[in-house]
Amino acid sequence: MVSLARRNLLHDRLRFAITIAGVAFAVTLVFVQVGLFLGLLENASVTIEHTGADLWVTSRNTPNVDFAHTFPETLVQRVRSVPGVARADNLLVWFMQISLPTGTQEGTLVYALEDFAAWDLPWSVKEGRLEDLPRGDYLFLDDSATRRFGPFAAGEYREVNERRLKIIGRTVAARSFTTTPISFVDYGLAQELGSQTLRGKTTYVLVKLAPGADLEAVRAEIRRRLPYNDVFTKAEWAKRSRSYWVANTGIGLNMYLTVFLGVLVGVVVVALTLYTSTMEHLKEFGTVKAIGGSNRDIYRILAEQSVIAAVLGFAAGALFALAAAPGMAKAGLQLIITPGFGAAVLVGTVLLCLAASLVSFRKVAALDPALVFRG
Amino acid sequence: MTVLSSRNVVKRFTEGKQTVEVLKGVSLEARRGEIVALEGPSGSGKTTFLSILGCILTPTEGRVVVDGHEVDASRPGELPAIRRRSIGFVFQQFNLFPALTALENVEYSLNVRGRKGPAARKEAERVLDAVGLADRTSFLPRDLSGGQKQRVAIARALAGAPPLLLADEPTANLDSVAGRQVLETFRDLAKREDRALVIVTHDPQVRTIADRVAVIRDGLLAA
Ligand SMILES: Nc1ncnc2c1ncn2[C@@H]1O[C@H](COP(=O)(O)OP(=O)(O)O)[C@@H](O)[C@H]1O
Ligand SMILES: [Mg+2]
Repeated sequence: MVSLARRNLLHDRLRFAITIAGVAFAVTLVFVQVGLFLGLLENASVTIEHTGADLWVTSRNTPNVDFAHTFPETLVQRVRSVPGVARADNLLVWFMQISLPTGTQEGTLVYALEDFAAWDLPWSVKEGRLEDLPRGDYLFLDDSATRRFGPFAAGEYREVNERRLKIIGRTVAARSFTTTPISFVDYGLAQELGSQTLRGKTTYVLVKLAPGADLEAVRAEIRRRLPYNDVFTKAEWAKRSRSYWVANTGIGLNMYLTVFLGVLVGVVVVALTLYTSTMEHLKEFGTVKAIGGSNRDIYRILAEQSVIAAVLGFAAGALFALAAAPGMAKAGLQLIITPGFGAAVLVGTVLLCLAASLVSFRKVAALDPALVFRG
Repeated sequence: MTVLSSRNVVKRFTEGKQTVEVLKGVSLEARRGEIVALEGPSGSGKTTFLSILGCILTPTEGRVVVDGHEVDASRPGELPAIRRRSIGFVFQQFNLFPALTALENVEYSLNVRGRKGPAARKEAERVLDAVGLADRTSFLPRDLSGGQKQRVAIARALAGAPPLLLADEPTANLDSVAGRQVLETFRDLAKREDRALVIVTHDPQVRTIADRVAVIRDGLLAA
């Protein structure tokens, strides 16, 4: 089979390059925008995803994991006695003041447990021993804090809520949506740091199910015993924490808008370059019709051209985005591009390019083949 | 055997309030192996008539039968199939695809006619050889002379063996030597391959290869 479509694309290389650049631009923009969005959102639930809890008991109407509210810590006993619960512990998540060596105050989001190892939290320790935490006025700090707090090292002291704590370890990858750096302290110490507010209080109860236990049955029973709390599965709680930020900040709208504009520019570039190309080759299309080509033959030419532009443009755009990812990560912006998302973008690109070719197709379909006889 | 038969073909064009009757009842027949030259002054309706014979335009009145198929003006959707099956065209401007080589130009038209794969390539090579261009198959049109381009176009029209060949002023863009060669190629192939050939022209050379000359004037055939 001779492909007039491909030959004509290679014949007008410059315009073909412009078409591909248009597609690549849109694809890069979509990957970067959506990837950044997903990256930001992941921060909103990354601690939930990594904590080894099947169910989270929260204070009623807690909107997301960062904005915790207190309830009596003794409720944990009622949860522990529910059949099917293998383990239940209090988790405190609380915003506290940290004083830097420069004298300035910053905020830190404190995660406090009695036994961190039992809940795989923090999940990535770079330095220090977690089991040392309960042994004194100690603190683990996440590496991402360097951006806000300046450099720090194990062995140094920082004041948290006006009490001197020694940094005895470093973690990585523990992040909050608000970029408030996360630190880890012993549960009892956290309550002392929180003084009145946290005395006898917790913010969450983490629940691990016994093997074979029915999640919905356990959840229903916890709800029955704690009628003034909410009980979420891990997935629900992660989703709730993410959705809060999408609904209550401009990031969702901002992403959709940029993606829409980028895609619009891409589609217009493809439609225009394909259209000018079609106009220049109108006589050839007339000849195809004169020698008996049907509208299907014509559409196949246009469709082949737009699919080629879509696939090449997608490849270029995806490469740009992947190439940009490490640099953005250095700037603290993580880009998440999953294979499923990539495949969806490819399919979308092909469909939109095909749609863009319809403008040209309408022109050619209406073409009178009698033009082949005219000068 | 009659390949082409047209009776009392009338064609009117309407532009706004004006209607012009370009053809006022033209009848023409052509048999296999016959070469008909259709002459006439500029604007006399030759191209319009050829377009109707070629199933590109439909007549306002009259009958056209191509290769046993009656052209039904009320069903324009069927015309491409008749063109694909039965008609090969040669144009004044050659109308080759500039991005395709000589061989691909011929092969592509075979693809459009529904013949694909190695068989199409073989047929393309055969007809290019028949028009004397076996050594130019991989040339792009821009690297061919006018006469060579027109011979590629003739090969393209011959490929797939349509019984009817229609040419509109095929020598008008050529010098007389190249025009002569093109006409001889036409004559040899139409005869050898037993095709009916109608050549619309005002080039007096065409008469020398024609079996019959028809002259059209003011929309009517003059004997
Ligand atoms: N599509 C059309 N619409 C209106 N008038 C047309 C059209 N095609 C041809 N004509 C008219 O028909 C006449 C014959 O044209 P044509 O068949 O091209 O003549 P020839 O080929 O003999 O020079 C001309 O006067 C031309 O203006
Ligand atoms: Mg003419």
